[in-house]
Amino acid sequence: MADIALRALSKVYRSKVQPEGLLALNRVSLAVADHQFVCLLGPSGCGKSTVLNVLSGLDQEYDGEVRVAGAVVSHDSTHPIRLGYVFQEPRLLPWLTVRGNIEFALESVGIPKGQWRERINGWLDRVGLHDFAEVHPHELSGGMQQRTSIARAFAVDPEILLMDEPFSGLDELTARSMRELLLGIWLETRKTVVFVTHNCFEACFLADRIIVFTPRPGSIKQEFTVELDRPRNYEDPRLFDMSVKVTHFVTGGRE
Amino acid sequence: MVSLVVLLAVWQLASVAFTARYVPGPWLTFSAMWEHLSSGEIPRHFAFTMTRMLGSFAIAMAVGTVLGTLMGLYRRGEQMLDMWVMVGLTIPSLCYIIVSFMWLGLNDRGAVLAIAWTTFPSIAINIWQGVKAIDQRLIDMARVFRSSGMRRIVKVVIPQVLPYLMAAARFGLGVVWKVTVFVEVLGGSDGVGYMLNYSFQMFNMADVFAWTIFFTIIMLGIELLILKPIETRLFSWRPDIRA
Repeated sequence: MADIALRALSKVYRSKVQPEGLLALNRVSLAVADHQFVCLLGPSGCGKSTVLNVLSGLDQEYDGEVRVAGAVVSHDSTHPIRLGYVFQEPRLLPWLTVRGNIEFALESVGIPKGQWRERINGWLDRVGLHDFAEVHPHELSGGMQQRTSIARAFAVDPEILLMDEPFSGLDELTARSMRELLLGIWLETRKTVVFVTHNCFEACFLADRIIVFTPRPGSIKQEFTVELDRPRNYEDPRLFDMSVKVTHFVTGGRE
Repeated sequence: MVSLVVLLAVWQLASVAFTARYVPGPWLTFSAMWEHLSSGEIPRHFAFTMTRMLGSFAIAMAVGTVLGTLMGLYRRGEQMLDMWVMVGLTIPSLCYIIVSFMWLGLNDRGAVLAIAWTTFPSIAINIWQGVKAIDQRLIDMARVFRSSGMRRIVKVVIPQVLPYLMAAARFGLGVVWKVTVFVEVLGGSDGVGYMLNYSFQMFNMADVFAWTIFFTIIMLGIELLILKPIETRLFSWRPDIRA
């Protein structure tokens, strides 16, 4: 079971300038079931990325309880489960080829070497990069770099996939095809996904559930369930209506 | 090839114009070179110079890398060392040489101390910049994929610092070369610098030319046959280095 449970998660950033601290997250409680696709939606600075940092174990200074697959999260190799993470930027190691970058992740999570070739080729095929395995990241476009990063995240066969505005740095046309690609892969694999975005339409297109955050200090303001069937279609008028509803709520309700 | 012929012609002309006493021609210089080479003086003195050079280079790299890393990693280290590394860079190398010789005597230990001392501040600064430029986001990526601490250092941190380390080594070698000869002029009883000084005392310009040319050839050899191939190999992935 790759479920997630946050109970009263709060986060205070302390610094020299603000010794009393800056409250980024205020008692966020959230349960994500296995195989669910959940979007965290909110304005920048509302702490939604902080949730991912806590879930991934990168940030361990928080209040509240965080359980992933039933176990309390701590960082490094002791993280209870295997994670895939797609960052806002591709975060590829520039001195390694596309293949080398995925190998780095496979080796890190401890996938036996005998499986690497098949896995890497399979995932590069799926993201449309099978001719680019031996190419270095700087020779790829931004969209191709992000596809590499997606292939890397799926190749480790994660139980949970965390995505932090992965398409916000791409142009809209590329972002569209990437969302379709992601949904296609997700339909096959049905990983538990927590996807952070500030784009209402993107959230409606991708998610089962949309969790809307308030501006800082972030807390959960509202939840929407997206009832649309999958596979979803960009041209679906119901998707458009849903997006309008969510957008209206997010912008109209802002203090 | 053409440029070499032109150089030789100009050299010969200059020799005729200013007399061989001030500008010995190619023929005189080459025969001086051959003389020192066949007498075994060249390998002997270069061996002394290279030993001093490599010894002090190793010390300077070690000290510079440790200090630079401390400065890059810890704010305290930066605050404490920043000023002193700058001071170290500012003091003329002649002062280090004199102080080292007065402390340790006119011997190899004094020479190595003087060279290493002159060289390490610039190495420390290069490494410092390299450590500061480490991209934390790549380290976080590695952590998310549960990479162990050791693997993160070997596969994510060191490759990022490597270009700075290479730059430091190159720059350091350049300084070491020059200072080593200088130290040998001031307080050596052997080595290339000593022989240059000796030729100077004899006012033997052909020998001065001969030693200088050998010195340049060996420096270029190290650059082209050792440093350049290493760099090309290490950084072939970088777009700016690929020709």
